[in-house]
Amino acid sequence: MSLNIVNNATCTFCGCVCDDIELHADEERIIEAKKACVLGKAWFLNHTAERLYPEALIDGKEATVDEAVEFAAELLDAATTPLVYGMSNITCEAQREAVGLAERLGGVVDSHTSL
Amino acid sequence: MLRITGGKVYDPLHGIDGQIRDICIHDGKVVDSVDGGRTIDASGMVVFPGGVDVHTHVAGGSINFARAMTPEDHRRTVAFIRSQTTRSGLGGMAPTTFATGYLYAGMGWTTVNEAAVPILSAKHTHEELRDVPIVDKSCCVLMANNEILLDLLEQGEMERARHLVAWQIWAAKAYGVKAVNPGGVAAWKWGNDAKQMAETVPGYTSLTPAKIVTGLAQIIDELGLPHPIHLHCNNLGAPGNISTTLETMKSLDGRRAHMAHLQYHSYGGDDWSTMRSEAPAMAEYFNQQKNLTCDAGAVLFGDTVTITADGPWQHLLYKLTGRKWGNLDVENETGCGIVPYTYRPSNLVNAVQWAVGLELLLLIDDPWRIFLTTDHPNGACFWRYPEIIQLLMCRDFRQECVTQLSEKARERVHLPDIDREYSRFEIAIITSAGPAKALGMPNKGHLGAGADADVVVYDEDEDIARMFGHPRYVIKGGEIVIEEGDIRATPEGREFLVQPSFDREIEDFLRPLFEETYTMSFENYPVEMHRIERPEISECIDVST
Amino acid sequence: MVLVDIRETKSVKASDIFLQIRPGKDFEVITILRALVKEQPVDESQVQETGLTLEQLQDFVDRMKKAKFGVFFFGMGLSMTRGKHMNSAALLTLAAELNAFTKFVAMPMRGHGNVTGADVIMRWQTGYPFAIQFGRGYPRYNPGEFSTVDLLVRGDVDAALILGADPGATMPQPAIDHLARIPTICLDPKVTHTSRLSRVHITTAATGISAPGTGYRMDEVPLPLRPALKSPYPTDEQVVRRIHEAVLKKPDWLQQGNRMALNQV
Repeated sequence: MSLNIVNNATCTFCGCVCDDIELHADEERIIEAKKACVLGKAWFLNHTAERLYPEALIDGKEATVDEAVEFAAELLDAATTPLVYGMSNITCEAQREAVGLAERLGGVVDSHTSL
Repeated sequence: MLRITGGKVYDPLHGIDGQIRDICIHDGKVVDSVDGGRTIDASGMVVFPGGVDVHTHVAGGSINFARAMTPEDHRRTVAFIRSQTTRSGLGGMAPTTFATGYLYAGMGWTTVNEAAVPILSAKHTHEELRDVPIVDKSCCVLMANNEILLDLLEQGEMERARHLVAWQIWAAKAYGVKAVNPGGVAAWKWGNDAKQMAETVPGYTSLTPAKIVTGLAQIIDELGLPHPIHLHCNNLGAPGNISTTLETMKSLDGRRAHMAHLQYHSYGGDDWSTMRSEAPAMAEYFNQQKNLTCDAGAVLFGDTVTITADGPWQHLLYKLTGRKWGNLDVENETGCGIVPYTYRPSNLVNAVQWAVGLELLLLIDDPWRIFLTTDHPNGACFWRYPEIIQLLMCRDFRQECVTQLSEKARERVHLPDIDREYSRFEIAIITSAGPAKALGMPNKGHLGAGADADVVVYDEDEDIARMFGHPRYVIKGGEIVIEEGDIRATPEGREFLVQPSFDREIEDFLRPLFEETYTMSFENYPVEMHRIERPEISECIDVST
Repeated sequence: MVLVDIRETKSVKASDIFLQIRPGKDFEVITILRALVKEQPVDESQVQETGLTLEQLQDFVDRMKKAKFGVFFFGMGLSMTRGKHMNSAALLTLAAELNAFTKFVAMPMRGHGNVTGADVIMRWQTGYPFAIQFGRGYPRYNPGEFSTVDLLVRGDVDAALILGADPGATMPQPAIDHLARIPTICLDPKVTHTSRLSRVHITTAATGISAPGTGYRMDEVPLPLRPALKSPYPTDEQVVRRIHEAVLKKPDWLQQGNRMALNQV
């Protein structure tokens, strides 16, 4: 089986954000993360491309992403002051979108920095 | 399609000085005629080409650091409430990105040049520029303290240096090259500075600021960049620094250069207590140097935040004021200092600075070579430009302001003796036609057929600051973006880039050095094209002619 | 390398000098260092409180002044213990003051992968780095009032969207209790503690592993992410955008028209 090798991959486990990692991956998992530290290795090797979880849950029951998105929008829109929190382990592209959403909702946006 | 009819048109590039003309717009461009579409009746109104800011700091690590450092200002400033067409934002000393676009467009400025971008964080700058709506953008990449480049200049390896500069411009997706305190910021990494043009830069054996300036200016001309070297001289802000500035200009030896915020480089005196304006001497010399353009970097009294790659100067300013100080070192490339500041008429130094900016604007005789800037946010915020226009157009108002200065300050400046008043035609040059020409943007700064349809329509008003602060209509790329004081549309702006040619082998030279001295992967260094909003690559030109 | 901590951690092995200070005495230590840098007299009893000797502190100051280029790296041990932001401010002041003698800088150590990106983006879009309230249609900032734990403990929010975080495992119990009370929506590559107390969980691709994009290093240098895996799940970016689009279809709670608030309160 051929391995997919990614050079200069970036590790987003901690704030150092090393970008010289060499990843070796098969279809489903990363089997080697060269140059990564102990924390980085654990981060890369602990995620897989397998379908381990349901794509979405509503009140604990399996649902489609479409249903979950629609219901999430309803809940957030119905709230007076919704909170958008976290932001630290998602991409900048997602963060930008999240700030725009919080603004439209008239809610609060906050990150781990406030802890 | 759009026709603006009956207005007094000021289009300096075509010598149109207030004559009544129709401006026709089709497909985002000015055209000779249109058939149909909306007509704006501009009878009794004034029509200008959209403003062009040749030197401002609106996006990237340094202004964003300034935003973080000034929450107290955000709370007292104008807030933009979100609407269905606009994002929310805050104005003030360091406006948020969305507000920056609305504020510029709101006073009729449609093109801005972000003047200081390190390659290492250029991705950040471009991401921010994407969030500055309406206006078109370009940026200048910082070079004069890049240690890999400085080594080549010291060794006299000009050929290789040229390929490196071209590679770096493209890596940063920049439009021009900015040199800030050549050699001085590199020395600041060791707590030093470089103040004399002919003295060796600390850490080097023979490299001087003068060699950096001339080497870079030569390379930029050889590459044929549409905008010449954008030069922030050594010894900024210091009493007596006119000698450094004149020496820098002489070392250019007839080569093209744009002298940034000349106000900060035109002082006499030996120390803070004897500091005085040397604007007349500066203007006299500058008037003869047809190879040079400059921008004013004018100061207005009030609160602002100063941000500059000139790290050592900012440390001095922190020591002088005792206020907050932020410092950013950008590895081997450059740095940045941030200090909030209040310019006061009662302060002798501030009074001199205020006068020098205006004196240069009034004493440099060719408006095509000096442009209106405040080096935003350093001298004042860009949204105060209308106040400067009033000071330039109205001698009586200016003299009234001079009376705020102490008697001692009035002896150090020349403003009270200057009677010149700018005409509207000249204002259109220093705010639009001139900077567009200096930036090498042939479709900006005029209203002839083929120009980008960036047009401002002002109500005639005796109150000059009000007139220029509140245009009746602003048209950007043919679209009405401001009408009757409301933001009507927020189109994305374009970004101008240049792609000078270089030998790919320069990467073989650069890669090992980079891997030895930088903390990131070489492959992750250049800005990817997909980060640029609506890129438009400008052609390089033949400078030798 | 000088390591300052309240206990002997694994990092001690990597350091040249280890200064073990008493818990909660960060501010005192930094203030004494500032005095010593300026050659001001310090009170012996105050030195004793810190758990260090005057000799140790003086030696530290001498080394800092002699360094060509010094850096303070500081983490949550400083900013989240007694004194909190006062400690950070004192350290930043010490770094600034050392520049009278040599080159010195200070940099916060950020724990989470892209928390810096969140700070940077919120700053350019809203002017503030975190704890931002949009209830009046424009950004307002007040840590303590608009910061998450405070909002949750007081019960001041009535829905929550949790992105790339697991507050259900880490926050104080009263905050978790409130999250469980209100409709919470959680996006995460795994089903987490927070997912279990949420009304909606959506599984997303893992940042930088199977989701592409950008992340900021703690010194604010942006880096591209190069995913090695193809996820069966959508990215956070895609899901947040879809929620945003779905919200945009609903009637806007704000009135039409451009408005400016000239005098914020």
